[in-house]
Amino acid sequence: MTTIDPTTATLVDEPQPLVSRKTIVVGGRIALAIALLLAWQWGAVEFGSIFFAYPADVVWRLVEITQSGELFQDIEATLRVSAIGFVLGCAGGVLLPFLLRRSPRWTQAIEPYVLASQGIPKYALAPWLILWFGIGDLPKLVIVTLMVFYIPFVNTFAGIRGVDQRFVNMARVMGASEVKISREVIWNSLLPFFFTSLKVSLPRAVSACIVGEFLVSSAGVGHYIEHAREVSDTVGVFAGIVVATTLVLVINAIVEHLERRALRWRPVDRDMAL
Amino acid sequence: MDALLEIKNLCKRFPSREGRAPSPWVIRDLTFSVSEGEFLTIIGPSGAGKSTLLNMIAQIDVASAGEIIFQGNKVVTADPKAIKPGLERRVGYVTQDDLLLPWRTTLDNVLFALEVQGRLDDKSRAHAAMLMEAVGLKGYEKYYPHELSGGMRKRAALIRTLVYDPPVILMDEPFASVDAQTRMQLQEDLLRLWSLGRKTIVFVTHDIAEAIVLGDRTLVLSKQPTRIAGEHAIPFPRPRDVKNFFALPGFAELFERIRAEVQ
Repeated sequence: MTTIDPTTATLVDEPQPLVSRKTIVVGGRIALAIALLLAWQWGAVEFGSIFFAYPADVVWRLVEITQSGELFQDIEATLRVSAIGFVLGCAGGVLLPFLLRRSPRWTQAIEPYVLASQGIPKYALAPWLILWFGIGDLPKLVIVTLMVFYIPFVNTFAGIRGVDQRFVNMARVMGASEVKISREVIWNSLLPFFFTSLKVSLPRAVSACIVGEFLVSSAGVGHYIEHAREVSDTVGVFAGIVVATTLVLVINAIVEHLERRALRWRPVDRDMAL
Repeated sequence: MDALLEIKNLCKRFPSREGRAPSPWVIRDLTFSVSEGEFLTIIGPSGAGKSTLLNMIAQIDVASAGEIIFQGNKVVTADPKAIKPGLERRVGYVTQDDLLLPWRTTLDNVLFALEVQGRLDDKSRAHAAMLMEAVGLKGYEKYYPHELSGGMRKRAALIRTLVYDPPVILMDEPFASVDAQTRMQLQEDLLRLWSLGRKTIVFVTHDIAEAIVLGDRTLVLSKQPTRIAGEHAIPFPRPRDVKNFFALPGFAELFERIRAEVQ
């Protein structure tokens, strides 16, 4: 019989350190990015630079418009309209279900109209909105707000309906007011739903704003892309697309960071185990 | 001793679905009272409407008929709109599932009721810290519920209610889902804490031994519709030793009598 020295012995099943798993994930992402770039390059070679701009040209263009300051003006214009529209749409989409929470009859009356109005193609409203609000930022703002609203609305409703009633009862028995129950129990229960809706609605806000800029604008990422198309500047179109994509990716990264912070209480490694 | 809580001719049946025959009575003509400072245990088979009874006392469900009188005031009517949350009465209710809020740390869970009642101050914080220490939760203040063991969660749920000092504490099989060993420790903890303040407790269980070990008096309920099948004063002196209780003379006899009534 040999005895095992506890100071040197390691368990056979000792879990792999997280670092190596992270390395694999990051490595995989880089590999995918290179593959996509190669595909892009291949597309440019195959179809010609009128339809596919070369990646290198796009990079140079990005450097150019960064130096001239044009890039930041456009990003600022797009982000301003997207952000205001998003905040309005999101606030409405979250607050309305909360207001309707304790009024099932109002909910039954209003909800079908809200859901039916979702069927209206929002971009089809654009000419009418321009008629009303002129060619400033306002029509874009309305479209962004409308495009955003339904996502938090539907998710918040689902979240409120999914709240464990036992928690609500417990809070009531302990003397919590309805406002406190909304803020504490309901809000925290639906936080995962809220972040899901953020992840869908934030990129959508930016997209809606860019489409709006195709129609009416004097600045913005959408304006840059549309203007480049008008002068057959394929490199400019691609540069604009890269900027728009980067914007959305950065926004998503911020949301995910906020989500991790807000949902810190959840069991560690929850997502990995799924 | 005055009756703190009186249940008079209480009846309950749940609303039936449209087009169906009326639902059967869950509770039919139930009458009993609980004295100030009494530890009442209620025992009955599963499905005997025990939880429904406590829900009605806690005002998260309504009685179909009958009265619940608490500190001299009638508190439950058949009118759902008359239901008021625990704001004015502040009963304590420890349920079978601990219902600790998963996004709050253990300490914040314990302080939840004080916080919503606007009674959070240095004194109540110190009281909470004392209770946490008394049940062995000191050092776990910053842990989230999912990081605690089953027994610790039960303790946290228990002191979360004790800390705001409600005039009556309803307990619905609070120790049902833990192992026998942990359960005895929880019973010991409960008796120890109870001996400090002698709160009025209505403790529902389906475990006959638990009903005897803890209570001053035990009510035996029959199955649907719920009626009182028996009532026993529990003569054993306090403080009680949970671990050696079964050996006490008279325990086995009482146990058998109750078991006959439960079936």
